[in-house]
Amino acid sequence: MAESQQAKGQSALEYILIVAITFVIIVPTTYLFYSYSRESGAELSDAQVTKIGRTIVDTSTSIFYSGVGSKTTVDVNIPDSIKGARIIDGKELVFNMTTTFGETDLVFFSSVNLTTTGTNCANNVCKIPELGNPGVNKVKIEAVSTESVSIVVI
Amino acid sequence: MKSMINKKSQAALEFLTTYGWAFLVVGVTISALYYFGALDFSKYLPQNCVFPSQFKCADFSLTPGQVRIKLTNNIGEDVCVKAVSITNDANPPVSCSFGAQAQGICAASEFGWDHSADKEFVFSSCSGGAYIAGERAELKVTMVYYALNTPSKPQHTFNGKINGRITTS
Repeated sequence: MAESQQAKGQSALEYILIVAITFVIIVPTTYLFYSYSRESGAELSDAQVTKIGRTIVDTSTSIFYSGVGSKTTVDVNIPDSIKGARIIDGKELVFNMTTTFGETDLVFFSSVNLTTTGTNCANNVCKIPELGNPGVNKVKIEAVSTESVSIVVI
Repeated sequence: MKSMINKKSQAALEFLTTYGWAFLVVGVTISALYYFGALDFSKYLPQNCVFPSQFKCADFSLTPGQVRIKLTNNIGEDVCVKAVSITNDANPPVSCSFGAQAQGICAASEFGWDHSADKEFVFSSCSGGAYIAGERAELKVTMVYYALNTPSKPQHTFNGKINGRITTS
């Protein structure tokens, strides 16, 4: 009877030890991977937005010099961290990005005058809220006059 | 039936009184480990600084009382920096002074930063906010700037994060 109890006690202790060691390994590893992936996520979003901004600005320049009436569409994959975009002075395309360490403006400068549909423009700022919708969006870029290129999400 | 329920209750109570001490010891041990920082796994994370690619972090160093960050202006335009600040999540947060020198065509309290150029930002007299030599620090840097060639000079903000150990040498 005493032997049987001892054997049970030993297996219980072994079980507790195995569970404890597993926890000691799993908990810190999970924390480290989670922290690392969170920072990598911010860097990935940054790279994605940089690609989108450069694509829009480069395509706008190309369309502008192709002449009035020229147009094209580009597919952009907006990450979740983007809250919206705006054009300032027709020169700056600004994406507002939220990261774990605060809000950041990602600014792309265009050598040609940028605009969007008139209803979204007030003073020198044109808002493009649709560029804050996460996922794949189609952006129409059109040379609407000899002076400016329109950027509209369709 | 009633006697069976009574027996079960007694067994449960005995279990709790026997193992209550064990639970208490485990609880106290975990609390002590947490108090002495043994459960702070963030110290095992690599030291790094994360900034937007438009102002890439080239290097940084944390020494007692001083934070140095070297950033590269990848935005493609010359900018004027209006304000730079550093903080963290501690209560009260870390406090540093930043002495900017007017440079170029920016206003007196601002300084210029050419495109593609590296700039070293030195924060001195850092104190408070658990900024202690030998310890790990996570700092948030905020900068406000505007592009010189944009007519209305709209202000923009960017944030970055430094995670590193404060070295004594």
